[in-house]
Amino acid sequence: MADLKYAEAVRAALRDEMRADSGVVLFGEEIGKLGGVFTVTQGLQAEFGEDRVLDAPISEAAMIGWAVGAATEGLKPVVEIMFMDFVTVAMDQIVNAASKLAFMSGYQYQVPLVVRMPYGGGTYHGPQHSQSLETWFAHVPGLAVYCPSTSSDAYWLLRLAIQNPEPVIFLESKALYFNESGPISERPDDRQALKCRLVRKGSHVTVVTSGRMVSRCEAAAATLSSSGIECEILDVRSLWPLDMETIAESVERTGKLAIVHEAVEFCGWGSEVAAWIAQNRMFHLDGPVTRIGSARSPIGFSKVLEDATIPTVERIEATISDLAAF
Amino acid sequence: MSERRALDLYRVMRLIRDFEDRVEQLHRTGRLRGSFHSSVGQESSAAGICANLKPADVVTSTHRGHGHALAKGVPPRLIMAELFAKGAGTSGGRGGSMHLHHRESGFLGQNAIVGGGMPWAAGAAWARRHLGSDRDIGVSFVGDGAFGQGVFYETFRLAALWHSPCLFVCENNELAHSMPSTALVGEPGSIAAAVAGLGIRATYVDGRDVMEVFDVAKALIANVRNGEPAFLECKVFRVKAHSLSDPDYRYREQDAGEQWLSANDPLRILRERLDAEHGTELDKIDNDVTAEIAAAVAWAESQEEPDRASVEDSSLC
Repeated sequence: MADLKYAEAVRAALRDEMRADSGVVLFGEEIGKLGGVFTVTQGLQAEFGEDRVLDAPISEAAMIGWAVGAATEGLKPVVEIMFMDFVTVAMDQIVNAASKLAFMSGYQYQVPLVVRMPYGGGTYHGPQHSQSLETWFAHVPGLAVYCPSTSSDAYWLLRLAIQNPEPVIFLESKALYFNESGPISERPDDRQALKCRLVRKGSHVTVVTSGRMVSRCEAAAATLSSSGIECEILDVRSLWPLDMETIAESVERTGKLAIVHEAVEFCGWGSEVAAWIAQNRMFHLDGPVTRIGSARSPIGFSKVLEDATIPTVERIEATISDLAAF
Repeated sequence: MSERRALDLYRVMRLIRDFEDRVEQLHRTGRLRGSFHSSVGQESSAAGICANLKPADVVTSTHRGHGHALAKGVPPRLIMAELFAKGAGTSGGRGGSMHLHHRESGFLGQNAIVGGGMPWAAGAAWARRHLGSDRDIGVSFVGDGAFGQGVFYETFRLAALWHSPCLFVCENNELAHSMPSTALVGEPGSIAAAVAGLGIRATYVDGRDVMEVFDVAKALIANVRNGEPAFLECKVFRVKAHSLSDPDYRYREQDAGEQWLSANDPLRILRERLDAEHGTELDKIDNDVTAEIAAAVAWAESQEEPDRASVEDSSLC
């Protein structure tokens, strides 16, 4: 298969699941004729019809509640939230309904629902269209949270999410849609698909990251390598389930851990990784567990302000350099 | 309406009334623990509407939902076991009074977030059509408090746009906890008028007469089965406090419920209508219901606690 852009890979996963399973239906705003504001659903309504690709009014709460009801009947709805920021008006149906219905019905009902959410900065949409709110969802029992950073992972993780009998929050980095491109691998083993992806081997510092921060960490690691600091980069593909085993094994070898993410650093998911390692691998650590996340500020419209908020290659490099020297 | 139908409606209303009264007593004496919302005064809505449904039709309900579950055919002993938080309850003790669900009875069930069950029913009913059923419908019960929720409006427009065969029933019991519906919306009938303004076929019915509720719902449901949503505002009354531990004397007369019942009790109104010709049958229904509830309580109380191990391990992977 030719290389696919990240947006094309998401589209291919939707298309292939819809071809394979007639129960897969799509709900979302402007996903029909327009094909989604990020082009992800282009051509899908033409191929599968208006019965399976439904243009929704701007009613996120009812749309997700509707998808919950449809999922209890055996359909596999995939809902697009145009920008992750807009999910706030539908949080009730995700947090109180989708995540809990299986449990609170004693598992009489299942909710095989996927909610796709373009997230993060890089497209200069300003404070209400640039957030990385993934930690909220990782905090809620009953939700899985997938966050691919390559085209191949976007493809296979979305297919896995759609076939998952439990609700999955699927994070798509807006900045990667057209800037990330690559081949689609052979189908990974389901048990391996959610494990951390080893991006780069190294012996001095373990760098745990995700989404578009992966490429920034790679750029920082290349510079650090020239000054003798070798980073081991792990791409977290899923925040829940979270593959702490691979992270711990790496920290046992390097003795140093940095977590880099686009979400706000304070109470971000990196804090959970840091706490877990501090609690369970304390005697393997040779330096302070270090978090590198966004400043606790809304994302400014200006590139200058965004760069002062979201971790840049320079900030990542400088912080890891200090950690390596500890 | 056939007399058989009228007697059936009486049986369901009697079951709900006695079930709720028994729950209140068990709560007061400390045998039931937790939060319970009584539907005494609202039996005619659950009974009159659900009598028009097939087992396969999908019903959603609210925090005040024991009556809806009973009217849809969920076995009383399974409900009671859930209220006793036992492993044999409908949800194995995970849900409780506000989370009754029973797939076998077509009771998708309660959503304790006000208005939250509306899109569930609409989506489930839409899914039935999508999957090839040409007759199944959804029914979503909500209270007048749902008028304050955004999802109330969103669901109507989505149901109209995507053609969901769903009947939405708003039980106007005059109070959203302590907020009078006359203040929030207006006089009874105002909710139906507002929903009609959203482009949904909407009707108002006085719930004191269960036979009228049945007939009005029957006509609406005939349309719903043809594939379009509809709405029914059913005027009922919340005889008890918001929850069994709610001090409602702070916002209404202490005996408001008893006052209303003495003049308007739908169960008594139906009984008086049927008594002359069917007194013996009605007595038998009363006795059967008493025995059924006693058996449900005895069975529920004798069941095992839920298994602690069923709480999922919180490990990371």
